[in-house]
Amino acid sequence: MLHSQSVQLLCLTASSGVPLFSRGSAKPLPFSIIGSLNGVHMFGMGHDASLSCCETDRGGRVLWRVFHDSLMLIGASSNAEVSELHLRRLLENAWNCMVLVLGLDELANVRNVERLKRELRSCYRLIDMLLERGVDDLDCDGDQGLMGDLTHCTDCILLPQPDLLQETLESFTRAAESEFGCLLVRGRLAVATEKWWRLAPQELILLSAIANLPPGKTSCDYPVFLPQGSPNVALRLMCFQLLPGAIACVLCGPKPSLHQVENEQVCCFWSPVVDNLRSSLDQVERSPLYPSITFNRDVLCLLLINRDSRKSVASLGPTCSKSPPPLSPARRWEILRLFYTFAVTRYFTSEETPNSWCPPSDPLHEEFSSGFTHLPVHCYLLTDECKCYAVQTPQHQLFLLTDLSVPTFALRSVATHTLDVITTATGF
Amino acid sequence: MECVAAGSIMVSDWHRSPDSREFFRRILHKKQRRKFGLLEAPVMPPHLKADVVRYKVFLSGKSGVGKTTLAARLGGLDMPNVHYETTGMETSVVFWPVKLRESGRTLFFHFQLWDCGENAMRRFDHMLPSCKEHVDAILFLFSFTDRGSFEDLANQISQIMEPSDRLVRLVVGTKFDLFMHTDVTERDITRFQEVWGVPVFRVGGDVSGGFGEIAPLLNALAENLWHQDCMQASTLVPSYPGQIGPEIIV
Repeated sequence: MLHSQSVQLLCLTASSGVPLFSRGSAKPLPFSIIGSLNGVHMFGMGHDASLSCCETDRGGRVLWRVFHDSLMLIGASSNAEVSELHLRRLLENAWNCMVLVLGLDELANVRNVERLKRELRSCYRLIDMLLERGVDDLDCDGDQGLMGDLTHCTDCILLPQPDLLQETLESFTRAAESEFGCLLVRGRLAVATEKWWRLAPQELILLSAIANLPPGKTSCDYPVFLPQGSPNVALRLMCFQLLPGAIACVLCGPKPSLHQVENEQVCCFWSPVVDNLRSSLDQVERSPLYPSITFNRDVLCLLLINRDSRKSVASLGPTCSKSPPPLSPARRWEILRLFYTFAVTRYFTSEETPNSWCPPSDPLHEEFSSGFTHLPVHCYLLTDECKCYAVQTPQHQLFLLTDLSVPTFALRSVATHTLDVITTATGF
Repeated sequence: MECVAAGSIMVSDWHRSPDSREFFRRILHKKQRRKFGLLEAPVMPPHLKADVVRYKVFLSGKSGVGKTTLAARLGGLDMPNVHYETTGMETSVVFWPVKLRESGRTLFFHFQLWDCGENAMRRFDHMLPSCKEHVDAILFLFSFTDRGSFEDLANQISQIMEPSDRLVRLVVGTKFDLFMHTDVTERDITRFQEVWGVPVFRVGGDVSGGFGEIAPLLNALAENLWHQDCMQASTLVPSYPGQIGPEIIV
């Protein structure tokens, strides 16, 4: 089992190496080690080499990344199950969190280190939430099955009849003097305005995470900077917990005030559709897919990604009649994350958008591709807990875990059939 | 605004009496406090109808003093075990049933608690006005483990309240359970109450989510708000259009 303690995130100023914060581990790394981690990176820089990642033979891993020549984030893990992709995403997401809360200017042009250190504290809640994603899932069932932080695709729920909620959301958003609005159901996007979908996927994931108020909090008004869309001008993210787990969000300018929207608009727009909201909450309890879809009873869980729209749905398989069930839900989600990482780093590599700091030609991990010119479209993996299969089409990717009892030769047809069933039924 | 004596308008310790059980049952779920969404309210059977009166309450205090924890405590939510700076404004809702002493009428008070991170308030100008918009009561918080936060109270009260504001104000001392580290003595509290005429409540310690610790504070809040509205209603023309009185949902 992974533990959040197994990953540590450090933030330092890039030029002087002053530690700004450290999150994740109960026992923070000693100062001398932080200093060495920074030192070895700096040594590389001095020799025109950029050090991005290193690995020990026992599975420990360290990742460095400098953002805007101003701050350096270091991710360190001692657990072999924490992949490079996981750490890389963590650094990107953490940086985006910091921009979201404080704005780019504050981070890119550090004027007063002590002040920045104090202000960075406002990001801890979000950063810790990301660190805990996908690990120790047992005690926060609300977050189970959310994968956006890893896949950079928005976690969605597919509603059989979204029209009424969509209309309601659009009128509500207009009434709040905005064009950006969405409805979250248990942390997953159910419906959103067209403009909301135009936000960058990384932004959507962070907005969903920050807007996912814990039960009991009824509304919030957070100043947010959009890392891509508006890094230097703060907008206001207002969220309203309509029913526990169903949250309406809007991105606004200076007006209207939280009090005004909450007291004048929330009830007036959302009360008439309260039954629809309740049924979507019930639905997600069972599966974020349509209740009418039935797939093979040996499917333990699956993740379906639409590659164009960068949306994803993840669902547990039908409740297993076997007792005891072969794998706990938490373990299934964990294996699904590991399998996703395995598949996209080794086979479906085109998903990994090349970027400047980590060129796509990472020769260590391209065991399969080297020497082949074609693109893999299927892959599978057998473990002693379950069997895993992935399919890639121009539009979709499906990652699937099945029970060990499914014959290996049948995996392919189970997977393609499941993909067909879902896409024809939902048009996803 | 002068404070009313505890128990003069409402039945104090009503949560202990058997006739309140039906009402308190509506704010509980599996022995824990029920969490309400914005579209929800406790539903009573027809023969036990209770009106809901809504009030906005602003929690004010220095960073780290325990505003978010107090809101969670009053609402019966999970108490945060790590301190996180609140990144903006957050609200939570507390329903609290009370019984009026004279008429025997029962009411559900709907407190909307507004909590705002101090850093965010400093960086963004719209936060404080938004918290104060149509506010009915302010809870000023200090921490028993931080003398600075106690000494800052006077400053805070005069900064946030205008002389013309007719608001209920109460003071709450948090982290009272950490008496080993207390920085604020009983004498300080007594003197403060005499000078300012504001009652001081103590919270901290009780993590069981029971009503014992929060009842005196919620009752006092309800009593003072009700009193304030009665005073206003008697001095103003009742149907004065600009008045922000209790909004009664039937």
